[in-house]
Amino acid sequence: MERKEEMLRYEWKKVFGKTSSRIALLILLAVMGVTCFFATDVSWVDENGDTHSGPGAVARLREAQKEWAGYLDEDAVRRVIEENRRIQSLPEARTDNLRDSQITYGRKQGIMEIRELLNNSFVGGFREYDYYRADSLRPEDAPYFYENRPRLLREWLAGEAKDQFSEEEKAFLTRQYESLETPFYYDYAMGWSRLFEYAPTVVMITMLVLGYLVAGIFSSEFSWKSDAIFYTSLYGRDRAVRAKIGAGFCLVTGIYFAIFLLYSGIVLAYLGTDGMDLAVQAVSGSWKCFYPITVWQKYLLIAGGGYVGCLFISFLSMLVSAKTRSAVVAVMVPFVLIFLPSFLSSISSQTVQKIIGLLPNQLLQTGMALNLFNLYPAGGKIWGAVPILLVLYSLLTMVLWPVIYREYRHKQVS
Amino acid sequence: MELKMTDLTKKFQDMTAVDGVSCTLTTGVYGLLGVNGAGKTTLMRMLCTLLRPTGGLITWDGSDIFAMDREYRRLLGYLPQDFGYYPDFTVYEYLMYIASIKGLRPTAARTRAKELLEQVGLTKARDKKMKKLSGGMKRRAGIAQAILGDPRILILDEPTAGLDPNERIRFRNLISELAQERLVLLSTHIVSDIEYIAGEILLMKDGRIRASGTVQELLAAMPEQVWSVELPRAAAISYMKTCKVSNVKTVSGGVQLRIISAEKPAGNAVPEEATLEDLFLDYFGEQAGDDYGKEGRDAAI
Repeated sequence: MERKEEMLRYEWKKVFGKTSSRIALLILLAVMGVTCFFATDVSWVDENGDTHSGPGAVARLREAQKEWAGYLDEDAVRRVIEENRRIQSLPEARTDNLRDSQITYGRKQGIMEIRELLNNSFVGGFREYDYYRADSLRPEDAPYFYENRPRLLREWLAGEAKDQFSEEEKAFLTRQYESLETPFYYDYAMGWSRLFEYAPTVVMITMLVLGYLVAGIFSSEFSWKSDAIFYTSLYGRDRAVRAKIGAGFCLVTGIYFAIFLLYSGIVLAYLGTDGMDLAVQAVSGSWKCFYPITVWQKYLLIAGGGYVGCLFISFLSMLVSAKTRSAVVAVMVPFVLIFLPSFLSSISSQTVQKIIGLLPNQLLQTGMALNLFNLYPAGGKIWGAVPILLVLYSLLTMVLWPVIYREYRHKQVS
Repeated sequence: MELKMTDLTKKFQDMTAVDGVSCTLTTGVYGLLGVNGAGKTTLMRMLCTLLRPTGGLITWDGSDIFAMDREYRRLLGYLPQDFGYYPDFTVYEYLMYIASIKGLRPTAARTRAKELLEQVGLTKARDKKMKKLSGGMKRRAGIAQAILGDPRILILDEPTAGLDPNERIRFRNLISELAQERLVLLSTHIVSDIEYIAGEILLMKDGRIRASGTVQELLAAMPEQVWSVELPRAAAISYMKTCKVSNVKTVSGGVQLRIISAEKPAGNAVPEEATLEDLFLDYFGEQAGDDYGKEGRDAAI
């Protein structure tokens, strides 16, 4: 045990002894800091139309939105529509003056998130969006607020998307939409929505830095020409190789969670943790999501998905590093896996799109993947991409572990 | 305690680096002599399980060393020709890491590392980063790591390269001490290192062991005679082109050549006692000039 810890410690020292590794970590921290700055950049517009920012603005916004906290039943929706109409009827809402527009916006801040839900619900088509749709609603529209969601889906599946899904998949989506428990509970959830918005940036930058750090774990022995001594040592073809894999695992786990939790902690400490039990559909941006999950569950999926994605891609980099003896080739793995799908997405083939939906980069942006309609049949059932991605890449990572071990321990040194 | 090679062969595509080597090594110091490209490093790497032979067998006390796997490596200490290290480790950290992968417990490793630092004269440099060490100091750190696990088999590829004369003497003494109950195989171009400490010498050429035995046995079996002759400079040049000249010395009125030849090369030539360097030149001819031969002689003229 003592020796194992020693080996691990020295493997980390090999990684972090390099100045470039320490610079990479500093860059990661800096990018995370900048991301936190943008994520927490919330403003409040006062009754005079003046914009404020900082903790005071967050408190005012929270207070305003908290006034509307509660079940978003027909009555609550009606009240929001009435309030919106009342604000729209005021003189400031009927001018093109910039300050008046600001004043009108300020008056709507308390209902802004619910107003967004109305915009999503009362559109002409499933894939449409109209920012001003809420302004034209009448109180008698309130009963249709929840009905619209499955109705628009059914219409879309029967029309525009009729060839895009199998009958089983259509039935699955409809079932998921209809089974969603309503009315939603609404609350201020700015902390979570901002956290979700910027999480992919943090996870992807973390992945790139992790890829850089782990790329040299195996190949450095060859570039430093220390391979001969390494392989002739007692544990050079077993425990020391396992220590390298273990070091990579601990490094990915430690840095990923340190960064992700630090990011989450800063954003939530600043904007608040309210709304963690809300259905994700009640938080702007996820109205169409078919996964029946809460905001807290979405957070866990984003954190877990990001971790599995980072671990898999890092292990793949380590395998390439062990196989090619080149850190340069290994460090390209995350870049290829992150950026290649963007190029492939322009191909309209359904098969290609299905494959793209299961690439590991999806795990680095699980929040976005939760909003996509990527469906796959497995075990006689239809599944969304996210659970498949989590299981698939967890298993593949477990498979990579012994593959890396075998690959590296049998290397010859000529 | 017997390391046995039987018809050992290693081919790299069309090139045969080691060609049917058979020999048995037991306790003591073995010197492996050969010019660059003779196959010494490839042979040593196979003995260290770093390379798998294309043909033949290596056994330790009757067991295939590749099948022995970890049990064989437990016995092994190796210093490669291109000694690689971890540039950001201090000397002490480096030894502690090697100790950990050699299976030494941290407490024992600490004691052993301190002893070895003392032995190789690196105590003052223990907290220096490896990348900051001079060539000789790095070599000494390499020697320290090779003997760290108290190995029964010690394989040293060019261990004295980069060491100054004092360091080489210290190293030779260290190896002589270690060789008491060990098998030490060392290759070098510096013939005097082997002459002083090797019990048996293996002469390797074109992937084969051409001759082996003690220094005395090899010198006795030397097919040619060594001669010393004093000549004017102009005449010396023609001898340089036609004879095997193992040494050139400037003397008053010309140069003194040390010539290896079956026949008396000149009327005033006198027979000399052969040394290992003469033997080396005799076996390897102009190829031996890579390190100390022809260039030095030409420069002397």
